[in-house]
Amino acid sequence: MTADLSRASLETGEVLVVERLGGGLLELVARLPHLAATAMPGTFAQLRCGDGTTPLLRRPFSVAWTQDDTCGFVFEAVGAGTRLLSELQPGDPLDTLGPLGHGFSVVDGGTVICVSGGLGCAPFPLLINELRRRGVDDILVLNGARTATRLYPAERFARPAVPVVAEATDDGTRGHHGPVTDLLGQALGSNPTALYACGPNPMLGAVMRTLTESGAELPPTLEASLEAPMGCGFGTCLGCALPVRGEHGSTAWRLCCTDGPVMPMREVDWEGLSTLPGADVA
Amino acid sequence: MSENGFAGVDLGRGLTLPNPVGLASGTAGYGFELEQLIDINRIGALYTKGTTVGARDGNPPPRVAETGGGMLNSIGLQNPGVDTVAADYAPRWRGWTIPIIVNIAGGSVDDYVHCVTVLEPVAEVAGIELNISCPNIAQGLDFGRDPDAAGRLVAAVRQVTERCVIVKLSPNVTDIAAVARAVEDAGADAVSAVNTYIGRKIHRATGRSVLPLGTGGLSGPAIQPLALAAVAAVCDAVRIPVIGVGGIVDAASARDFLIVGASAVQVGTATFVNPETALQVLDGLRAD
Repeated sequence: MTADLSRASLETGEVLVVERLGGGLLELVARLPHLAATAMPGTFAQLRCGDGTTPLLRRPFSVAWTQDDTCGFVFEAVGAGTRLLSELQPGDPLDTLGPLGHGFSVVDGGTVICVSGGLGCAPFPLLINELRRRGVDDILVLNGARTATRLYPAERFARPAVPVVAEATDDGTRGHHGPVTDLLGQALGSNPTALYACGPNPMLGAVMRTLTESGAELPPTLEASLEAPMGCGFGTCLGCALPVRGEHGSTAWRLCCTDGPVMPMREVDWEGLSTLPGADVA
Repeated sequence: MSENGFAGVDLGRGLTLPNPVGLASGTAGYGFELEQLIDINRIGALYTKGTTVGARDGNPPPRVAETGGGMLNSIGLQNPGVDTVAADYAPRWRGWTIPIIVNIAGGSVDDYVHCVTVLEPVAEVAGIELNISCPNIAQGLDFGRDPDAAGRLVAAVRQVTERCVIVKLSPNVTDIAAVARAVEDAGADAVSAVNTYIGRKIHRATGRSVLPLGTGGLSGPAIQPLALAAVAAVCDAVRIPVIGVGGIVDAASARDFLIVGASAVQVGTATFVNPETALQVLDGLRAD
């Protein structure tokens, strides 16, 4: 099936600020009227990093939030591409292609849980804003990170009214001492209509394992935003394959960029995903 | 000169490209994504994803890895199979004016002959590009490395099609000119050069190859001087049209191929970065 790219467009925006949030987290804010008007929760944009041929490929980033004609992106300077983005100054051009990808199925009611690990916070402000617009107010964010300074600030998950955010850190410097999945058991008692998760693929696998092992009924809407090394972002290079459950227990491949990045967690082959090597950050 | 400012590029057997800038196989799918992003009918040709007898799921991930000025890929010819292309995809090309050249890959002469035979009655197909050079499947390079085998393959395909047959050459050979001459002698109408260069990247944290099969195909601007040398050698060796491909990112890097004797070019990896690259190359060349 061919991806619907009817909203996607090249757009050169203007950088407004690259804000240092602490712990290495960065928030890039740019004036991008087309993207701001068309991005749906869970979709992403391909950002050009510099204007040379190294790094060559664009980098995919969830559209974290939109406000009027501006968009926010949350990232960390871990490789050559994101380092260039981190050095952008107000007024610099930002070459984007988006919105791309298949986003979240946004529910219209009930209780919603958002599980975030590290930079997995990125798609949630836009999602929570859309949930609220649809009248969903019972939203619990479970936010985990390695350490306190790397927790995306609770007040940024939604403005002006902050949702309930429960925090967990691996080193115990804030909130629960342990993985964010430890917070899931209690949260499931609210019989959520939807659970949305985003974070490193191993963390997402742990979320699915915790849900399954809890014995609780799985939320009807159960989706995760996944990641994979990506070439084009619009379905032509076929580079960003992710394993899903095929027929008769086999593994099939789906493209992170157009079948995802948001996929139903029931369909992902979590065991297959766990055997894939981690990202090689150039 | 045609109305778009270019003389058509006559590749033989009735196939004349409206302009010299095409979209390279493996970087444009079957056109259905790019059609939504750019005015695809302004482009001179679409060379489809490598198409095989049966559907292929492709290789396990990771399938791509970025390198200096380029990228490695090990997609493994993921494609829906030639029957689906003929029955389901071709009708969607109806009304497109861009010539569709279907890229065919296989592991045996019979595979290629079968695919070409299936496509022969499909009116929407303008030509055939034989991929004898995919580095990412078993046997994918066998035909491309051996001039005699390449010649036999082309001769067999020549028996079953009246269409223009372009042979895409591998750069991973000692003497690319010898392969080019062999396919010309066997009846190829044109050659395209080059496919990707075999490359490897090591995951610095683990010391292992990033791509699960170890190696992949290197593309992008890093290979442009290598491709240019190969294309120049091919142009010196054959009289049939040569289509230059490898690392083109703009009109200047495309013009280099025309200067060494290529009749047309293909834009590949640069389309991933900017889907409009081929159109920008076209506009740049037109301004010459």
